[in-house]
Amino acid sequence: MIKIQVNGLSHELSQDLASMPLLWVLRDKLELKGTKFGCGKGLCGACTVHFNGTPARACQIPLSAAADARIRTIEGLSENGDHPLQKAWIEEDVPQCGYCQSGQLMSAAALLASGSPVNDTSIRAAMSGNICRCGTYGRISRAIKRAAAEGGQA
Amino acid sequence: MKTRHLKNVQPGRRRFLKQSALLSAGLAVGFHWVPGVSAADDREAPSAFTPNAWVRVLPDGTVKLVVHKHDSGTGTRTALAACVAEELEVDPMAVEVITPENPFFEAYIHPLWHVFSTGGSTSVSLEYDRLRQAGATARELLVAAAAKRWGLAPAECRAIDGRVFERAGDRSAHYGELAEAAARLPAPESVTLKALSEFRYIGKLRRKRNALEKVTGRLRYSIDLEQPGMLVAVIQRAPVIGARVEGLDAGAALAVPGVRRVIRVPARPDVLGGNREGVAVLADDYWSAQQGRSALQVRWSSSPFAEFDSESLPARFGAALEDPAAPLVRTLQAGDADSAWPAAAKLLEADYGMPYKVQNPLEPICISAELVDGRLHFRGGVQVPSFAREAALTVCGLDADRVVIEELISGGSFGAREAKYWLMEVAYLAQQVATPVKLMNSREDEMRALFGHAATLHRLKGALDSDGRLSALRLRALSPASGEQWEPGYDERADHMDYSTTEAISAWDFAYRAPNLDLGWVRHETGVPTGWYRSVSFIPNVFAVESFMDELALAAGRDPLAFRLAHMQERPRHVRVLMKAAALAGWHSPLPEGTALGLATNQGYGSFVAVVARLSRNEGVIRVERLSCVIDCGLAVAPGGVEEQVYGGLMWGLGHALFDRLDIRGGEVVQSNFHDYRVARMSDMPDIEIRILEGDRDKPSGVGELTSPPVAPAIANAIQRLTGQRLRSTPFELTLPG
Ligand code: FES
Ligand code: FES
Repeated sequence: MIKIQVNGLSHELSQDLASMPLLWVLRDKLELKGTKFGCGKGLCGACTVHFNGTPARACQIPLSAAADARIRTIEGLSENGDHPLQKAWIEEDVPQCGYCQSGQLMSAAALLASGSPVNDTSIRAAMSGNICRCGTYGRISRAIKRAAAEGGQA
Repeated sequence: MKTRHLKNVQPGRRRFLKQSALLSAGLAVGFHWVPGVSAADDREAPSAFTPNAWVRVLPDGTVKLVVHKHDSGTGTRTALAACVAEELEVDPMAVEVITPENPFFEAYIHPLWHVFSTGGSTSVSLEYDRLRQAGATARELLVAAAAKRWGLAPAECRAIDGRVFERAGDRSAHYGELAEAAARLPAPESVTLKALSEFRYIGKLRRKRNALEKVTGRLRYSIDLEQPGMLVAVIQRAPVIGARVEGLDAGAALAVPGVRRVIRVPARPDVLGGNREGVAVLADDYWSAQQGRSALQVRWSSSPFAEFDSESLPARFGAALEDPAAPLVRTLQAGDADSAWPAAAKLLEADYGMPYKVQNPLEPICISAELVDGRLHFRGGVQVPSFAREAALTVCGLDADRVVIEELISGGSFGAREAKYWLMEVAYLAQQVATPVKLMNSREDEMRALFGHAATLHRLKGALDSDGRLSALRLRALSPASGEQWEPGYDERADHMDYSTTEAISAWDFAYRAPNLDLGWVRHETGVPTGWYRSVSFIPNVFAVESFMDELALAAGRDPLAFRLAHMQERPRHVRVLMKAAALAGWHSPLPEGTALGLATNQGYGSFVAVVARLSRNEGVIRVERLSCVIDCGLAVAPGGVEEQVYGGLMWGLGHALFDRLDIRGGEVVQSNFHDYRVARMSDMPDIEIRILEGDRDKPSGVGELTSPPVAPAIANAIQRLTGQRLRSTPFELTLPG
């Protein structure tokens, strides 16, 4: 059995799934569909989760490497969609198709949680692994600044 | 994004509105939604009123707008709902927009549904009046119902925020309570629409729908669909275009845990836009299916395409342009260009090339299908319902009434969801198995799917007279036919015109004038499938024309802005966006050392745009620092939505200039994922300044495909002013030697 902790809940998964990427474990075994598939190669950021507190691409982590790890997904970012970033995202009307946004939010949340100063340079550095084909980068940047200004660290 | 020829659009009012008495509950206002593609649709008046869109007010007060408008993130539904809500006096966010395939709709209404598709950046502009009329009709009926109930004249009542109030008293009634009575009243002959100044929502909406579900990961996309017993399919498609399966050993694949079936999917070259040959692996989940796929042993037949290299296309296209027998469709003729060349003070010639490009929506294509009791159910982001029906018919022999589409939101389209190969494949698989099948593309599949943007070559020749004026211009746009050829009647067109290939270079939309003009499209088919792609042929056409205008200006010793203005058609709105963009970007102000501006413009779907790119040079590295963009789209129904479409378009244009390029070598696509096919990331974005002009028109026009085409030429024009070098094929290399 492989044990992982997702959004505060413990799960035990069969050893047979050891090589399955965490992305597909989350989506297909734990029914957490908020984490998205975009490239499967660590290139687009759609599958970004927090892995022991740091942002990571779930498509690149075999389940075996996640044993005993603490994982947070978009579903665990807040109870009711009221994380300061989620509120700022709605305020700035960020999502277009929305498909990239779970990953964008998880990357942004890690930036805020890191305590580093939030400015154009740190935003670009934190967010450039997340592709948005609809073109929401301008609003993402504004929303992160808004959440930071409102003191959102969570 | 299907671009359609809009010249002949007539609103078709005569069979526009009617409220329905057929219904068991509530009020329904049906209206005929003219597809807006040609006058032909208007000519054949139907014998009976056959509405294809509806506004419904239910007894519980819910308002539903039933339309087929696929939502791939463009905010279309928000804007459509706003048009209805404005006149109906309800909150647009409370209007539920559903498709006719929605079970709710099926349960109440079975009209003859005219199939059409979302696309062409026309959704809001075409439906603006009709939706407002429908909303106003419903409102008047509700007011009349309240007036009747209270023994008043309708004028003594008014509607606001989902209720009807007695003007001089305190009686009021909720729409829901009035809906049934309203449904039994005769529809008003005509309705009065609100004046612009009375708008509460149109022109003011800043937010879209579903935002909370999108930021919490709760929104369900096509890829998220699960059903009992569902199998996930992935398809190993013929790597070389045209190859067939010659030998298949599925043993190792079937031995992978979770893999259930391996099915050969036959090619359908007989259908335009049909799928190529492939081998599908069906498994309990995507990961297992992919494992199975890598264990497949397939022997592919040889194909004539094994010789095909996209690298040789410029030479091949160049030769085709020299060939007098090449099929030429003239798009704009004035004077006699050929006789003007000898008199020219200066002659210029240039070729401009663009490579194949891929749409790459972030959610790869994903579609589910299931055959139940002789009906084929499609579940997912079906942007073109008629293609789903065509797939059902050509693959399974099922008529349209045997097809059910359950629409799910999709993670972007940009034209990828206007292809039909995947609908045919999933229909085939559904027919082969007794369970629901979910077909998923990997990113690699998406890169190699083809049906992207065509490679093109444009050859221009211009003559300047001794005053530096353009006396003659010839343009030959070499390109395959667009996805329009998939539509019925394409080959029978008398003018042989492919409107989606000749955008911005035709008699009704070319931006410039000169005494002698000879513009034309040279059709050249390589056999590589291509499809719909955001902004379609505006991209290469505008790249060529707007680059060449700068080259001409330079040769004439004129400022590129002044040169354009001197040759523009009488289009004040077009002139205005150019002037405003120039002012916004500081066109006439001194620039710091090592900086240059470049300008380009475009029009389409009734809107106008100008873009100024500001570039800087630092030790041989060129950076795009800023894009300043001014658009005039008439009335912006949802300004927030317009702004983000403009931004998205600019980002796409930057991609064309710097990144987009798909190579084919030995008949196989070379690129595979985002590492070798780059797309714009946040770190690539320059400063973006957007101004949306407003106020001088009371009608909206399209924006989704307007703003990407001028970006690449604006950048090329700036590069020339910065370095003296003219770049004529995309993507541009921005690191200069030295
Ligand atoms: S799906 Fe993991 S980075 Fe793209
Ligand atoms: S919102 Fe569509 S990909 Fe980002």
